[in-house]
Amino acid sequence: MATHTSSAKKSAAGAFFDALASLYHRRWLLRYFVHRQVTRNYRRSYLGFAWAFLGPLIWVFFLSLIFSKIIGIRFRVVEGDPTLNFGLFLYCGLLPFLAFSESLNKGINSIKGNSGLVQKVVFPLELLPFTNAITSLVDKVFGLGALLLILLVLEHRWHWTVVLLPLLMVIQLLFILGLTYLMAVVGTYVPDVAEIMRPIIRGMFFATPILWPTGRLPESLSWIVDYNPLAYLVESYRALILYGELPGGMATLYFSLFAVALFIVGFAVFVRFKPGFADQL
Amino acid sequence: MIPAVSLEGIGKKYRISASRSSLLKETLSFGKVKRSHDFWALQDINLKVRPGTTLGILGRNGAGKSTLLRIISGVLQPTTGTIEVNGRLTAIFGLGSGFNPEFTGRENAMLNGLILGIDHQEMLERFDEIAAFADIGDFMDQPVRTYSSGMRSRLGLAVAVNVDPDILVLDEALSAGDAAFKKKALQRMYDLLDSGTTILFVSHSMGMVKRFCTDAVLLHKGRLVTSGSPDEVADRYQELIESAQEQKDIRVSGPDRGLDEMLDREEEEDLEGVRSSNDSTRDGGVTASSRRGAREAEIQAVQVFDEKGETASEVPSGSTVTVRVHARFAVAVEDSALGITLRSKKAGVDLFSTDTEEEKTSLGPKEKGEQTTVDFTFGVPLQPGRYAVSAAISAPREEDPCLDQAEKAAVLKVTRDGSELSGGGLVRLPTKVEIHSPRSGQERPSQLT
Repeated sequence: MATHTSSAKKSAAGAFFDALASLYHRRWLLRYFVHRQVTRNYRRSYLGFAWAFLGPLIWVFFLSLIFSKIIGIRFRVVEGDPTLNFGLFLYCGLLPFLAFSESLNKGINSIKGNSGLVQKVVFPLELLPFTNAITSLVDKVFGLGALLLILLVLEHRWHWTVVLLPLLMVIQLLFILGLTYLMAVVGTYVPDVAEIMRPIIRGMFFATPILWPTGRLPESLSWIVDYNPLAYLVESYRALILYGELPGGMATLYFSLFAVALFIVGFAVFVRFKPGFADQL
Repeated sequence: MIPAVSLEGIGKKYRISASRSSLLKETLSFGKVKRSHDFWALQDINLKVRPGTTLGILGRNGAGKSTLLRIISGVLQPTTGTIEVNGRLTAIFGLGSGFNPEFTGRENAMLNGLILGIDHQEMLERFDEIAAFADIGDFMDQPVRTYSSGMRSRLGLAVAVNVDPDILVLDEALSAGDAAFKKKALQRMYDLLDSGTTILFVSHSMGMVKRFCTDAVLLHKGRLVTSGSPDEVADRYQELIESAQEQKDIRVSGPDRGLDEMLDREEEEDLEGVRSSNDSTRDGGVTASSRRGAREAEIQAVQVFDEKGETASEVPSGSTVTVRVHARFAVAVEDSALGITLRSKKAGVDLFSTDTEEEKTSLGPKEKGEQTTVDFTFGVPLQPGRYAVSAAISAPREEDPCLDQAEKAAVLKVTRDGSELSGGGLVRLPTKVEIHSPRSGQERPSQLT
């Protein structure tokens, strides 16, 4: 059996599916990688892994406290839904945005940050961005748990649409994976991208309906929401969690197609460029 | 036979530039500005490694050894040429490199094993074995940040050697840990060898390569200079180092020549006891492989004695030694001469040679089956180092005069103790110094010995 031959140029599709298969073959390694990344920050603390949940819980608690009792009333009027707490509204939009910004930032570093491994060990490199993407999403699952708990405490009910969240997160994962893989390649070959991305990510924060409700947007600017995949995610999270509504059908279809295409492109580009990574470090 | 590893025309080019921004300027100028240059880390490497071989890769720093291993293991892609690897390959560049200090030894070992490609289930089954090999006791369940560096590399090696690869690629990994651990690691390497594993490894230590390898190659400035038996290649490597050192010695005065000698010795001591069976040359027993001659006489043993008349493998520089040669004649010989040669291992030259005839002593006619013992006593005003003693018997006749010859039958080690040697040269010749001062017009002999 030939373990590797660099003479025989594999077809691009062959390499693509080989790499995809390696994600499955090395699933245990993937599991340990994710476990390591998720638990790393809490290792030395007394409460340990509980912080993964407690951290977001404290955050949501303060957000809802601040915006309901102190300056909340004003926003409730703006919001147009008096039952809705603005702190929860904000946090619900923050979750998908944070998953997005983290995947960009971690993606850029996913090869550089593991130079010890990349230069020294032969193993499927496609595991590294995958780990980052999964980790940032797992992180948000804990945030989601905290949000749902506070929601239960404040409003005493959950909408049934919450059960559809895992489905939405699968599509979101593809979206994040595509971004992470693309960023891993770009960030490795052109380190300057890290500098470019910082203002872009900040801009995206304000261009996405996180702080403001879409209803307030003038007609002439509606394209900001229509062509912003992040806006779809933010709106859908809110629809499923806060309003108990279903996200728009066409929007969901478009976003799904976009996410799948982004993943395929990102992964293919990654597979195409990964042989040169070790030389770039 | 299908080679385990086959390289054809492998080359690796790097573009050297001060920074990426200077590369950008170069690209933007469309070739008008040239700020980078190409550097070939490897060039035109052709190599076939048969399954079951232990290949030592020798070469000075920067010769391209690690680059070659990385290309073979698939971490780096070659710029030119083709490479074929048949079998499951495990490469170990630096031990415990993937360890995270916050996690326990057990967790890190598991992750390390998974990275190296061991199955999760297999890893669980082997855990006791790994823990026993690493021998770090309860620290196995402590975070790695509490480990000493030695413990860290022991754990790394424990995981690494518990992989069962067809081809194992090692980059200086064996130099970790103390002597006892090194021995254990080597023993494990021998086990792997016996089970037919192909091992490729880089080492600066010629001792390691000579003992451990079946084949060796020498890299110099990115090219494969020699390949062949470890002894031959190690000799070439030695020449290479010396020629480089000579150039350096002109500029730098008083280099500590004892240092590499010391390192060599340390290594050898570490390795002692690991398969000492192939070490019969050590105490005067003469192996068949180094023999030449018609066997009309036989040199049975060559011994070295110090000034006190005790057998010695080490003598201080400047002292007197006696080389005793035992010989036996298989046929009756009318006249013959017995001689010895002292060869500097480091310099690779014969330093001194003499025989009974030269010293005006005759062996006289010998009967069939007669034995004789000849002592040569001489001073050794030599630089510290290893010297090989060869012995030969010859007869004055037309055809091949050699009756028997034992190459490197004994090793004499000259130590630094009490040495009055100056920095340079191979020997200390008796010297007298006179200063002639033209001003005073008067000769003033003065001895500065």
